[in-house]
Amino acid sequence: MFGQGLLKGLQITWREFFNKKVTILYPEQRPPLPPRFHGSFRLEAEKCIACGICVTACPNRVIRLDSVREGKKRRLTYYVMYLQYCLFCGLCVESCNQEALHFTQDFELAQYTREDLALVLVKAPVVAEAAAAAQGEGEGA
Amino acid sequence: MLENLFVAIGDWFNNLGARAGAPYWGDLLELVWILVAILVFLGLGVAMLVLLERRVAAFIQVRYGPNRVGPQGILQTIADMVKLLGKEIIIPRAADKVLFLLAPVLVVVPVVMLFAVVPFGKDMVPIDMNIGLFYFISVASLTTIIVWMGGWASNNKYSLVGAMRVVSQMVSYEIPLVLSLLGVVMLVGSLKISDIVRAQEHVWFIFTQPVAFLIYVVAACAEVKRVPFDLVEGESEIIAGPYTEYGGMAYALFMLAEYGELILISALATTCFLGGWLAPFGLTFIPSWVWFFLKLNLMILFFMWLRWTYPRIRVDQLMHFGWKVLVPLSLANIFITGIGMYVYRALGW
Amino acid sequence: MQPRLETEEVIVNLGPQHPSTHGVFRMILRLEHEVITEAIPVVGYLHRGLEKLAEVRTYTQIIPYTDRLDYLAAMLNNLGYVQAVEKLAGIEVPERAEYIRVICAELSRIASHLLFVATFAMDVGAITGFMYPFRDRERVLDLLEMVSGSRLTVSYMRVGGVAEDLPEEFLPALKKFLDDLPACIDEYNGLITGNEIFQARTKYVGRLDPQVAINYGISGPVLRASGVYYDLRKLRPYGIYDRFDFEVPLGKNGDCFDRFVVRIKEIEQSARIIRQAVEQLPEGPVMGKVPKVLRPPKGAEVYHEIEGAKGVLGYYLVSDGSNRPYRMHVRAPSFINLGLINEMVRGWKVADVIAILGSIDICLGEVDR
Repeated sequence: MFGQGLLKGLQITWREFFNKKVTILYPEQRPPLPPRFHGSFRLEAEKCIACGICVTACPNRVIRLDSVREGKKRRLTYYVMYLQYCLFCGLCVESCNQEALHFTQDFELAQYTREDLALVLVKAPVVAEAAAAAQGEGEGA
Repeated sequence: MLENLFVAIGDWFNNLGARAGAPYWGDLLELVWILVAILVFLGLGVAMLVLLERRVAAFIQVRYGPNRVGPQGILQTIADMVKLLGKEIIIPRAADKVLFLLAPVLVVVPVVMLFAVVPFGKDMVPIDMNIGLFYFISVASLTTIIVWMGGWASNNKYSLVGAMRVVSQMVSYEIPLVLSLLGVVMLVGSLKISDIVRAQEHVWFIFTQPVAFLIYVVAACAEVKRVPFDLVEGESEIIAGPYTEYGGMAYALFMLAEYGELILISALATTCFLGGWLAPFGLTFIPSWVWFFLKLNLMILFFMWLRWTYPRIRVDQLMHFGWKVLVPLSLANIFITGIGMYVYRALGW
Repeated sequence: MQPRLETEEVIVNLGPQHPSTHGVFRMILRLEHEVITEAIPVVGYLHRGLEKLAEVRTYTQIIPYTDRLDYLAAMLNNLGYVQAVEKLAGIEVPERAEYIRVICAELSRIASHLLFVATFAMDVGAITGFMYPFRDRERVLDLLEMVSGSRLTVSYMRVGGVAEDLPEEFLPALKKFLDDLPACIDEYNGLITGNEIFQARTKYVGRLDPQVAINYGISGPVLRASGVYYDLRKLRPYGIYDRFDFEVPLGKNGDCFDRFVVRIKEIEQSARIIRQAVEQLPEGPVMGKVPKVLRPPKGAEVYHEIEGAKGVLGYYLVSDGSNRPYRMHVRAPSFINLGLINEMVRGWKVADVIAILGSIDICLGEVDR
C-alpha cells in the first residue's frame, strides 16, 4: 500500500514523543565522566624528578619546565602547560615514569584572556634554602 | 453565561451606542471590539505557537527545547521578539526599496483579513457572509503574490528562484485545496460558514469525506509552505528563498504571517471537517469556543507532527504530485460525492 | 519553426559555509536553468599541513595527528597508521591488543556510519532523522571515552599495541549497546529508509556505473553500492580480520538510496564482528616489544592500506633511519572519492547535488589533511 512507510514514520515519532529525553540539563546536571577522561592536568610535585620526558613526548611543545640541581637530585621549580596548544592526547601522562602527571575531570577550561590559558602547575621560588618551599602546587586559573 | 461571553461583550458595546441614540457608533464599537479580540488572539496565538513548535519538535527529537526563559519557556518568544526588534533591517543597495519594505507589512494583511470568517464559537463568526468559504479561498491566494513581491524586490538570484518556486507551488496546490472543499460544500449546499458548521450536527464531515480530508491536509501543507513542502524556504540553493535578504522585524513579520496561516488552515480544517464548535458526544457544558480551541490545537499539533517526521520533496516531484495525483483524486472525490448524494436522496434517507 | 529558448548559464557558488557540505567544502556549479552542467570542487579550506608536520615528529607523536584526519572515525586512522609503522619496523602485536584494536575500529566505523545516516537524513530534509542516530552515536562515543579518555580524537593505539587495557565497565556497556542496536536500526529503517518521500528523493539519483567507479579509483561503501565486491577486510585481510565471519553488503543500482542502505547494513555487520571479537578476546599483554626509541631501518618504505569508514585509507611511510619519518603520505579516501563529483552531479538538479554529495560521505579532515 502506498503510504505505509509514511505511517510507520508517524508511529515512530509518536512513540519518541513520549519517551524519556536524553538531554543533560547543564549546569544543573553534569555529564557522567569516565575515570580516564582527558580533562585538565594535575602534577604531584613531590614525585616529579624534572626529567623532562613529558616535555619531549609532547607533539606540540605544550610543557615547559625549569628545575634546579640540589646535590645529587633535581628539584622542580617551574612547570607550566600552555593549554592553547594542547591536543589532550595524553602522551605526556603516559610517558611519565614516576606517575606524577595525571589527568583531572575538569573540562571547563575556557578563559577570558590568552595569558590565563597557561596552566601553571608548579611555581616555586628559586631560593637557596632547600626546605619545604617547593610544595607550591597551585593550579592556575 | 460562559458560553456567550464574547458575544455578550460585543452586544454590550452595541448597546452602548444604541442607548446613546447612535446605533451606528454601537456597531462600530462592536467591530472594534471584534478586531481587537482577533488581533490579541493572533498575537498571543503566534507567540504561543512559535514556542509550541519548538517544544513539540524537541520532544519528538528526544530533547527538551527552550525551557529556561520563564516557566517551561513561555517567555521565549517575547525574548526573541525583543531581540528581533533591535536588529537592523539591511536593505540591499540594488533592491527595490518600496517593494522590499512593503512586502513584510502587506503579508500580514490577508492573514488578519481571513480571521473574519473563522467561526470561533456559536454565533461567533465575526462577519458571517453568504460566501464565507469562497472569501476564505480567494483572500488566501493573496499571500502568494506578496511573498513573490518580497523575493523579487530583494534583487538576489536565490530569492528570485525561491519566489518562483513559491508561485508555482502555491498556484498548483490551490486547485486540489478548492476541489477538496467542494465536496464539503456539495454536502452542505451553502458557502456560509455557520451553515457548514451546523450541517455537521449529526456526523462530522471527516467521516463522510475522508479522502477530501486527506487531500485537504496535503494541499494545505503545501499552501503554508510547511514540510514536506518547504522547499521554498529550507533548501533553495543555500539560503532562505524569498526571505533571504530580510532581517530583524521584517523577517519576524513573515514568520508571523506563516504561523497565522497555520492557525487559519487548521481553523478551516476544524470548521469543514471536524465539526467546528460543535460538541462531540453532546458534552455541551463546555462552551463552544473552548471546543473550537481544542480542535484547532489538535489540527495544529497534527501539522507539526507531520513537519517533524518527513523529509522534503523536490520541486519537480511536487508539481507531479500536485497535478497528476491530487487533482484527479479530488475530482474523483467530487464525482463520488455527487453520486452518493443522488443515491442518498433517491433512497429517501 | 519553434524558436529556441535562450537560457543563460549561471554560476552559483555552493560556498565553504554551507549547512550541507559536511565541512568547509566549496563547489562552483554551472547551472543551465535548474540543471547542472559542471561542478568544480574547490578544496583546501581545512588544510593543516599534516604530512609536513609528520616529518618533524616522532612516530608516536604523529598518532594524535592521525586522529584528526577522518575525525569522525578516529580509531580507524590510528589503526592504519600504527599498522604501517609496525610493518616498517617489523614489530609484533600481542593477540589481546589485536582484538581490542578490532573492537575499537569497528566501533568507530559504526560511529561514522551513524553520523552519515544522520547528516544524510538532514540533507534530505528530515530533521528528526538527524537526532535519533546522533543519540545512538552518543553511546558509541561514551564507550570510546571509557576506553581512551576522549570521545572524538582518541589517539588510543600505539606502535606495538594499544595504550591501555580495557576498563572493567567497558564490556558490559558494550554488550548493552550491541543488544540495543538492532532496535535502533529498525527505527531508522522505519523513519527514513521506508519513507516514500525519502525514497523518491534518493532512488535512481546519482547513479554510479561500476566500471566508471573502478576507473576513478573509488573505494568504500560508494563502490560497494554500485555492486563491486571490494572490501579490504575480506580481500587482503590485515590484522586479524580473517578470523571473523561477516558479510559485505552490496548494492544493485549505485544510486543514493543504495549507498544509504549499504552503510546501514555495514553497521549491522560491524556489530557482528564486535560480538565475535568480544567472545574470542584472550587475556594477555596489550603492548608488544617495542624499542624505547623507535628507529626503523634506513631507506625502508611501506604502504599499508586498511578499510577505513569512507573507503580505502592508505599510509605511505619512508624512513631515513632516525626516529622521525622522512615522508608520510596519506591516501585519503574522501579526497579520491570527491574526484568523481563532477561526473556524478552533471545533469541533475540543484536539490539533488546536496543529496549526492551527502551520499558520498566525505569528511573534510581527510580531504584536506
